[in-house]
Amino acid sequence: MNAMFEPFVDVVPSFFATLSQGPMTLTIFLHTVIILPMFWIYKQEKARLEQEEGN
Amino acid sequence: MAKKSVWSDNRFWQRTAGWVTGFASVLLIWLTFDTSAQISMGTDTDLQNGVTKRVPGPTVINYKIAYEFNKKRQHEIPVIGGMNSEGTSAFQEKEKFFGRDDWSEEEAESLLHLGKLASQTKNCMNCHTLLGNGGYYAPDLTKAWLDPAWGPEGSMQAMTSKETKEEAMAEFLQNPSQYPTHARMMPNLGITAEEAKGLVAFLKHLSSIDTNGFPRNFGKIQGAVNGK
Amino acid sequence: MANSYSKSESKKLATWYFTVAAILFGAQLLFGLIAATQYVMPGFLFEILDFSVARMVHINALVVWMVFAMFGSVYWLLPDETGIETVGIGLGKLLFWVFTAAVTVVVLVYLFVQVGPADETSLWFIHEGREYIEAPRWADIGITIVALGFVANLYMTGIKGNRSGIVTVLMADMIAFAGLYLTGMFYTDNISVDQYWWWWVIHLWVEATWEVFVGALAAYGLITMIGAHRKVVEMWLWIEVSMLFGSGILGMGHHYFWIGTPEYWWEIGALFSALEPLPLVAMFIHVLYDWGKMQGEEDAKGLPHTVVNNKPAFTWFIMNALGNFLGAGVWGFFHTMPQVNLYTHGTQFTSAHGHLAFFGAYATILIGMMYLAVQGKNNIKILNHTKSSIWAVSMVVGGVVGMTVALTLAGYSDVIISRAQMGATWAGYFDAQSTTWLVQGLVWRLIMGVITFVGFIFLIKDLLSIGKATHHVR
Repeated sequence: MNAMFEPFVDVVPSFFATLSQGPMTLTIFLHTVIILPMFWIYKQEKARLEQEEGN
Repeated sequence: MAKKSVWSDNRFWQRTAGWVTGFASVLLIWLTFDTSAQISMGTDTDLQNGVTKRVPGPTVINYKIAYEFNKKRQHEIPVIGGMNSEGTSAFQEKEKFFGRDDWSEEEAESLLHLGKLASQTKNCMNCHTLLGNGGYYAPDLTKAWLDPAWGPEGSMQAMTSKETKEEAMAEFLQNPSQYPTHARMMPNLGITAEEAKGLVAFLKHLSSIDTNGFPRNFGKIQGAVNGK
Repeated sequence: MANSYSKSESKKLATWYFTVAAILFGAQLLFGLIAATQYVMPGFLFEILDFSVARMVHINALVVWMVFAMFGSVYWLLPDETGIETVGIGLGKLLFWVFTAAVTVVVLVYLFVQVGPADETSLWFIHEGREYIEAPRWADIGITIVALGFVANLYMTGIKGNRSGIVTVLMADMIAFAGLYLTGMFYTDNISVDQYWWWWVIHLWVEATWEVFVGALAAYGLITMIGAHRKVVEMWLWIEVSMLFGSGILGMGHHYFWIGTPEYWWEIGALFSALEPLPLVAMFIHVLYDWGKMQGEEDAKGLPHTVVNNKPAFTWFIMNALGNFLGAGVWGFFHTMPQVNLYTHGTQFTSAHGHLAFFGAYATILIGMMYLAVQGKNNIKILNHTKSSIWAVSMVVGGVVGMTVALTLAGYSDVIISRAQMGATWAGYFDAQSTTWLVQGLVWRLIMGVITFVGFIFLIKDLLSIGKATHHVR
């Protein structure tokens, strides 16, 4: 499992370079952060639509 | 009564568009701060203290520059002033540039400033590529300083009857159409001797920028090419 | 009605913008032909009008004619969308003349001064030597003022009139469009910083704000030309905005692989820009789907009519859906991954992508808008094709696709020989230039360029005369 945590390879250390130690991590992190709040928006809008239909 | 789906609801998509755009913009701005700090130009002190910068200071023109494969990063990197035991820049070995290897920070800065201005005002980028961006009518200049054609074995020093790489380059830049290397020639752009010196400094500095291994295998393979 | 041509000053102003756009489009093609000829005959106009100058005019005319046509499109659709006359039309007209005069002066200086000494004065008054945004600094400031005036008119009209979804998207989009130009105006000795911000203009224009603009135009076109339902069209527009900005803004990372910027851009650039074709697929499907659906509704009524009320414009809109997907989407995706881009970056392959993407994504739909203006100006209910309109679309599209294929083939040897085998040296570059694929490819590009230009002449002839043809339904 050691290979899953690469030592730093970029020139200058930074937060994003740290996130991108393995090639997948940065990508998965960013895409997840974007998609997750859409569930919350979805739930809110669903509740709104149901309320409108109830009237 | 069938329930309306959220997936076909305009308000849901409008809010999603707002969220996604906002998040991407904020992240881009954050990344810009991070990147800006990493690509700010280094100083003479950095070079003397052996601090590796992605974009070294202008006095890098006092040093020997190479472009060597680095085992840790698995691609070529600029190696400034000789290589240390880790395969990165040692910042030791100097190289004369127009006869001097003691260009002060102010002198080197003003030379680079003149060269960068010339690269824009002479419109280099509409024929050549710099860092791979520009026109495709002439060779890429990212690592031109390290091109074997300009080296001691290359054809350009002999053609311009000059002793050093920098003098050969400066001579060519001032009178390009006198030294044709191909049917497609570089036009005379009215480059003065001083501007030519600046441009060569600009090119030497350009070759010291860490481009994450672009271009790959630069100058490593020479000779005949199949496929003609 | 506020939105008929005879009553609307906004629509009149739109036709002015379209006229100048068409002239600049011609200039773009002409100087493209000169540059293409120089590839085949390097001595052509050598040290008179060099490749660097011809290409600078070629790509600047491209950007500027599109901006003119975009402003024209907004002035054309605003009265329809908001239900009122555009606010500040006097200012709009004044800015039109300022913009046109400035562009004329800039082009004359490009052609007759060409290069200056290496100092700030040259940057202020000749050009800045930065691909696509070469305009000298005085013109930068002028363009900013013109763009802000345009955005002010859009906002005032949107706030006063009915703010449809399309207008809302345009308002958000055009302020970003104008604001981003500011990031490309400063000078720095650090070329990595220089190119970092340079892409904020180029990329965030053509792969984000301009694409959203096209989404809004396509939405407007579907409602106007085939009577698509606004609610459905606007839902698609919001989906497209989500996907375009969601992928396009961080997709900028694909320009930050090799310019001195950190390695983490490899992942960010690759994975976000790999998603960039998705909205373009969506737009393509959306346009064709709505067309089929509206035609189906018409057929169900037992009426033998076509549902399309402006056939030349709709043809160009369909070409946009296809061209945007192919040129920007597929040709862009070809080389957006760092492992590919390491070798394709800055080769004829990039040029192939550039030609089909700019044409497919923007030129097509803006030409479509010009046909909508011709229809409105001549008060025609159903605008039919003429022989010229069919020749124009066939030759222009065929020519550009032909150029793209030729440049793609030329790109093979550029990529394989000059980059992969020879490592991008001076010798490697010229080895690639002399290969059969590249030499023949560039001759074919010139031939296809000539075909495009002939098609353009048909297009202009048609735009000027189609309104007078008698086979339309009035």
